[in-house]
Amino acid sequence: MIIEEISVKSFRSHADTTVRFSDKVNAVCGPNGAGKTNLLEAIHYLCLTKSFLTSSDTYALRQGDPYFEVRGTINMSTRSSADVRIAYVPGEGKSAFVNGAPLEKLSEIVGRFPIVVLAPDDHALTSGGPEERRRWIDNILSQAHPLYLADLLTYRRALKQRNAILRRMRGQGTPGTRVLDSWTDKIVEIGSRIATRRAHFMDDFAPFLDRAYGTIEAVAERPHIQYQTFAPPDKRLDLGGVTEAFRERLERTSAREREQGRTLVGPHRDELVFRLDDMEVRRYASQGQHRTFAVALKVGQYFYMTDVNDEPPVFLLDDVLDNLDPSRRQAILSLLLSDKIGQSIITASDERLFDSVVDFSSHHHSLVPVHRAAPAELAE
Amino acid sequence: MSYTSESVENLVEQLTKLPTIGRKTAQRLAAYILKMSRVDVVQIADALVAVKDKVTFCTICSNVTDHDPCRICSSPKRDHSIVCVVEETSDVVALERTNEFRGVYHVLGGAISPLDGIGPEDLRIRELIERIANGDPVAAPNDDNGSHAASANGTTVAEPHSSDAQIKEIILAMNPNVEGDTTSYYISQLVKPFGVRVTRIARGLPIGGDLEYADEATLSRALEDRLVVDTDA
Repeated sequence: MIIEEISVKSFRSHADTTVRFSDKVNAVCGPNGAGKTNLLEAIHYLCLTKSFLTSSDTYALRQGDPYFEVRGTINMSTRSSADVRIAYVPGEGKSAFVNGAPLEKLSEIVGRFPIVVLAPDDHALTSGGPEERRRWIDNILSQAHPLYLADLLTYRRALKQRNAILRRMRGQGTPGTRVLDSWTDKIVEIGSRIATRRAHFMDDFAPFLDRAYGTIEAVAERPHIQYQTFAPPDKRLDLGGVTEAFRERLERTSAREREQGRTLVGPHRDELVFRLDDMEVRRYASQGQHRTFAVALKVGQYFYMTDVNDEPPVFLLDDVLDNLDPSRRQAILSLLLSDKIGQSIITASDERLFDSVVDFSSHHHSLVPVHRAAPAELAE
Repeated sequence: MSYTSESVENLVEQLTKLPTIGRKTAQRLAAYILKMSRVDVVQIADALVAVKDKVTFCTICSNVTDHDPCRICSSPKRDHSIVCVVEETSDVVALERTNEFRGVYHVLGGAISPLDGIGPEDLRIRELIERIANGDPVAAPNDDNGSHAASANGTTVAEPHSSDAQIKEIILAMNPNVEGDTTSYYISQLVKPFGVRVTRIARGLPIGGDLEYADEATLSRALEDRLVVDTDA
């Protein structure tokens, strides 16, 4: 997939900006606060209908403007081309259009235009709480398998409903068990599908992670992800076994969940443990190893998604080069220039970081300068 | 926006109380109403008040009706042994449009949603179970202009058609979302002891649509609910 051009209106610091990209490496350079990251964020909106930074759309709206709009021309390797538009109006919400036709559900767009983001926040992947890692696996699987996202959204809704009953039961002590059972049945049905899909992904992903790690780090240590979920390891890959385990674990915790007023078992409590050989990354790894592991996860994600979708995603790298030592920086840039990666869009404060590595005179690469926006009152 | 007329302002305010009507639409409607003839406007106003004054709920199926029991519940032409359970009155209208379903209905008034504070006790589920336990109470013909022919003869309610009274099948036709599914499951569990056949409407592709434009969730459900094609011929 290649993003040919994007236009953003009233988005963050951009009043009205149009940028054209080349099909390989695109370096978005400019001083701090000029709106480099905002361009990546706009692409994220275009492909996944939301930001990778904040969860609220109102923050993405340029101050004082009535609505924002992101538009892009995207070419797929199948040679089909799409004009995608996302608009947000406060109070009315977001709407998405592909080739002028409105989409009924925003989630329909997810997976059609695959992207992978590597950003400074990714250190939370290896050092933060389990929800960061669940968000990562959900991001991949939602883009790779459209049904996964539908299941995930249904599961979240059913879980909220079930927790509402548990809260009420705690408050009043009235045994509305039959209603609870109905919701239990629903979360078991959907939750088991989610956990099984995650377990299969763990198996499939391992070789891609291995390859990715080896690309950026020349040491012999092997990366490994251990999936911790409610189903025992020997039953994880079989939907029937997972369903049975889920039901059984819920029964065992039923007294405790009534006490606490929330669901204590399920894929919403899954954890991924990252290891380098036998060492747990979160607790024992050095700063450098944390960074390399996070980069490897995202590069591995890129390899995996390319393989599953038969469509190379667009790789967005936010401020990555500044935070890496020269050897890893070199490794990343060589990777981006290689045929393993399709189009990449990379922000950096200093274009000299690309010196003597990326040849911007080639039409495959572009240097996109971003300047600090003029103050609003002067711009008009 | 400020109006030179308080009446127009008030009308716009009132119209925005309706679902899917935002301020802009309300303004457009108000401007149109201003241009309409008085007769037409009175007709609309009367119709609005009439639904509140005249319409009641059918004591059998809980559908809206001007006469209790409703036209469907009191029709001898309908099969009272098959009850289609729906969430809202508007679902009955949709199903009736097919002109295919000859059974009767039961309107729940919503779906179980703890987040919205809606439990089974807030829906007409108990009434449904009673209907199944006691048989459908009415198969008494009720002529179309609403006067009870039976009462003129001195008997208040005619004997139910004994063979029709027993409910044989419950068709669950809830909305295909997580609340609808859960409500279906809940009802099916309650109905189980009665030994009544419980079915749920199929889900899948819209007729006349293109397979390639169907969303993934619908397609996968359609695959799940696939049917055997008879190859004997």
